Amino acid sequence: MRLTIQMLISHGRVARKMGLGPESRINMLRNILTGLVRHERIETTRGRADEVRFYAEKLIDYAKKGDTDEKAMKMANFWLTEKDLIPKLFKVLAPRFETQPKAYTRMARIPNRENLDKAAMAVLEYKGNPFPPLQTAKRDNELTLINQLLKGYREQRAQQARQDVL
Amino acid sequence: MACRTICQLLQRRLASSATSVRLSAAEVRGRRSAVFSREQARQRSLYPRTEKIEVTLQIPGLQGTLLVMNKGLSTPHSCARHLTEWYVTSSALALVDGKPWSLHQPLTQSCSLSLLTFKDTDPLLVNQAYWRSCAALLGQVLLDAFKEDFSVELLRLPEVLVTSGAFCCDVVLDPQLDAWNPSEESLRSLTRGAQQLIHRDLPWEPLEVAPPVALEVFSHSSDTHLRCVFIHVYGTHTHSCLTLYLSLRCGDHVLLSGGPLVARTGLCSQYEVTAIHPLGEGKWGLHRRAQGLSLPLQQQAHHTVWRKLRSRAEKLVEVPTGSTNEAISDTLTLPSAPEQTPPHTPQQ
Repeated sequence: MRLTIQMLISHGRVARKMGLGPESRINMLRNILTGLVRHERIETTRGRADEVRFYAEKLIDYAKKGDTDEKAMKMANFWLTEKDLIPKLFKVLAPRFETQPKAYTRMARIPNRENLDKAAMAVLEYKGNPFPPLQTAKRDNELTLINQLLKGYREQRAQQARQDVL
Repeated sequence: MACRTICQLLQRRLASSATSVRLSAAEVRGRRSAVFSREQARQRSLYPRTEKIEVTLQIPGLQGTLLVMNKGLSTPHSCARHLTEWYVTSSALALVDGKPWSLHQPLTQSCSLSLLTFKDTDPLLVNQAYWRSCAALLGQVLLDAFKEDFSVELLRLPEVLVTSGAFCCDVVLDPQLDAWNPSEESLRSLTRGAQQLIHRDLPWEPLEVAPPVALEVFSHSSDTHLRCVFIHVYGTHTHSCLTLYLSLRCGDHVLLSGGPLVARTGLCSQYEVTAIHPLGEGKWGLHRRAQGLSLPLQQQAHHTVWRKLRSRAEKLVEVPTGSTNEAISDTLTLPSAPEQTPPHTPQQ
């Protein structure tokens, strides 16, 4: 191909480069994914967390097919380097996300690493993990004026719905 | 003897005809405002020398701060001005020694003060005061809205819970307007009137008055009966004729209220007059209930939420009326009518 200047400029290119090459990238993601399946909440750099998210969710989709499925077992075997996690994937994680169609992971950004590199960090977790929540949704006090008005509105709607049913 | 009874009868008849002479609305307002100012000046003159009082603040972050203020002159508003601008703009009501206190009412003794906002952990008092203030504003807008030829009388500002969805104001309009039903355009023009009042950011000046002064303030109302009921509706919940009534002035209008109002009209941001429902024939004509919805500056709603709340506020709000109100007002209208002869005899 033509060795142009445009090849050095990466405008619009979405695929990330990690590690020494594509194979190194896959190996790194495999290690991170194994850690995620084992601990259900891990802390890595932002780029790596974002990359792993895609593979983590695809792995759950494969696990939902069941451990009798040939392809699912092959995938689990490839991606999980610690083989004691394969039963955990099929027996714990897949049933947990049975009702959900997608979005099994959650990523939250945290302050930069304290090392010299000051890398941007993120926390990646599977939903439904046993740890305390990362971010509590800030809810306004129930007794404020607007919340009281909305409460009255909801009660009236419920009352009307009950009257319509009768 | 016969002469004396005839004189008394004549006085009563002439007095009643004097009160039924219709003064124009502007004159009535001016006179009420004058009586209010007079009473306010008299109450201020009770403290000729400036005495100092100590006010301890109970605000989170400023616990135990001591302010030295003037007795009978300093208000919680002036205490807030000693702090930062945020306290002045955000505080809606004050708690003096645990009692709800209007922000512009002077402090009379050393006390503990806390300033309440809309975003506290327990804003129930503030919400109720805000609802009352919006109802008072609605009453004021209705008094101003109609032309001079039509009389408007405020019956009462009923205490409604915030969860009921709208604040109400009971009015009686001129008999010529019995067939009038408000259209959307008229409701919108009433809303515009309210928005103008809000934009002027008028403070609500409170004044605690004794019953005779309260009667004098409203003595120029076109109908003595209305006035009596108006006053006794607020007297009954304390069941005593010696309590002081809270009278408030906003701009030019003077009105009675069942509790403290918020500091100023500028605290409301979204305000709409939603409906005027006819309640049926009452003692003084066709009673109507005007309803509205409002939210303060710190609690603005998205337009989708506002639309839903507004559609609920258009429905009639049932106000639980205590039967004691009607009974006591009936028994007390008769003795209070002769009370009015003394102020009017000098006119003859």
